[in-house]
Amino acid sequence: MASIPTPGVISPPLGFRSVALFPMAVVRTHEKKKGGLSVKAMAVAKFKGTQRREKQLTEMIEKKVTEAKEVCEGDATSDECRVAWDEVEEVSQAKADLRLKMQKQDPLESFCEENPETDECRIYED
Amino acid sequence: MAICTSLYSTCSISTPSKTHLGFHQKQVVFYSSGVKKTSKKGGGGGCGSSRPYVITCTASDSQTVVIGLAADSGCGKSTFMRRLTSVFGGAAEPPRGGNPDSNTLISDTTTVICLDDYHSLDRTGRKEKGVTALDPRANNFDLMYEQVKAIKEGIPVEKPIYNHVSGLLDPPELIKPPKILVIEGLHPMYDSRVRDLLDFSIYLDISNEVKFAWKIQRDMAERGHSLESIKASIEARKPDFDAYIDPQKQYADAVIEVLPTQLIPGDNEGKVLRVRLIMKEGVELFSPVYLFDEGSTISWIPCGRKLTCSYPGIKFFYGPDAYFGHEVSVLEMDGQFDRLDELIYVESHLSNISTKFYGEVTQQMLKHSDFPGSNNGTGLFQTIVGLKIRDLYEQIVDSRAKTPVEAAKA
Repeated sequence: MASIPTPGVISPPLGFRSVALFPMAVVRTHEKKKGGLSVKAMAVAKFKGTQRREKQLTEMIEKKVTEAKEVCEGDATSDECRVAWDEVEEVSQAKADLRLKMQKQDPLESFCEENPETDECRIYED
Repeated sequence: MAICTSLYSTCSISTPSKTHLGFHQKQVVFYSSGVKKTSKKGGGGGCGSSRPYVITCTASDSQTVVIGLAADSGCGKSTFMRRLTSVFGGAAEPPRGGNPDSNTLISDTTTVICLDDYHSLDRTGRKEKGVTALDPRANNFDLMYEQVKAIKEGIPVEKPIYNHVSGLLDPPELIKPPKILVIEGLHPMYDSRVRDLLDFSIYLDISNEVKFAWKIQRDMAERGHSLESIKASIEARKPDFDAYIDPQKQYADAVIEVLPTQLIPGDNEGKVLRVRLIMKEGVELFSPVYLFDEGSTISWIPCGRKLTCSYPGIKFFYGPDAYFGHEVSVLEMDGQFDRLDELIYVESHLSNISTKFYGEVTQQMLKHSDFPGSNNGTGLFQTIVGLKIRDLYEQIVDSRAKTPVEAAKA
């Protein structure tokens, strides 16, 4: 935690650029462009369990979007249609949460420290 | 159960003598045959003894302050939570060694519970019944109430875990009563019994345009998603959202409303934001933030001779209003900070921000400059609300320490 500043003098934390306070684009590992939007590639998974979750969520999003489109073709106001898109939202949010956690470190890091022998914790190699 | 309880809260073991507090205490007397018991890992040991001991636990120490946060942005990872736990010191992490898919976050002082854990129906169950996660029928409010009440009273609970990856309900995890409990999710204020347990409540109200822009940023990189699918998902959830989630905002002590900016005509990128902090008047222990003159109406553009801002600048508004029949004070910020001195300048003109030293808001914002919203009203107001909650917490703790009788009656 930064030390308490004296009134009128605030020292920015280490690594801060003195000119721009809030850099508009924080460049992390890789940046890809898709459809004109700049997106950040996911940090690499360290453990097999994280890689599995990542893959599962990616596939689920694709699958559930297709399902939702099919289900809603008949009646866009039906319960089935609403539930289908709610599932899309749930998995999309779960993927985004995982992506965010992975920016710091593999989310299984502390679990694997205590359970290194499980399948989840095998070091993932591409 | 009472025995296990006493081992979690602050306890002192003494030989029986008259108690000095006399109120609101649980007393447990142990007698055992003298056989030595091995203590469980992490559990309470030292219960076995051949002499009688009285364990005295003061409930006032274990009374947890409960905060409710209504948000449609998933659980636990939300920026608001990270800012809030930072105000109290430390970072909130998932519980070590437990279920890796747990939604819970724990720091030294704060535990954040995701209300999705109280789903009564898992993903398959909801599909069968034809209900979304937003529907109250998918949630167990009885259990939510029982467990939040128990934690508030200092009793640990075994709380279910809803696994967002598998869509299943996993075996429960133990939640020990923290100093501050935050319940975050879609329905913290839906059930009136749960509402009554909250010491403070916040509703994050994101407008449709901003929600759309944020979800595009979130999902566009995913295979399968397109602008149309993102839009369709928001539209399909809207009826349930309007029926069950949105009405909760009338109960909130503070609403943070996020709207598109008015400074850039026709802007629909959702990058520059207009954020309104709507604060209920007359809430015990909560004094609304104000600008210059409390209760008056102020329009303020800080950029000018003393402060140079880049486009589109910053605009503030403050004034009294009515919100769902309540009197409120509204503090509004439109625009962006892009320099340190803008932020400290603005901070120095706000009152009732409950900082402990000059520049605390700025320091907190700087500390988390990589969080979304760090350059606009979302970060500013989330930080300020965090400080108000700290202030509220300290007032509650002080009042309980001084008058245990009053606290017992409360």
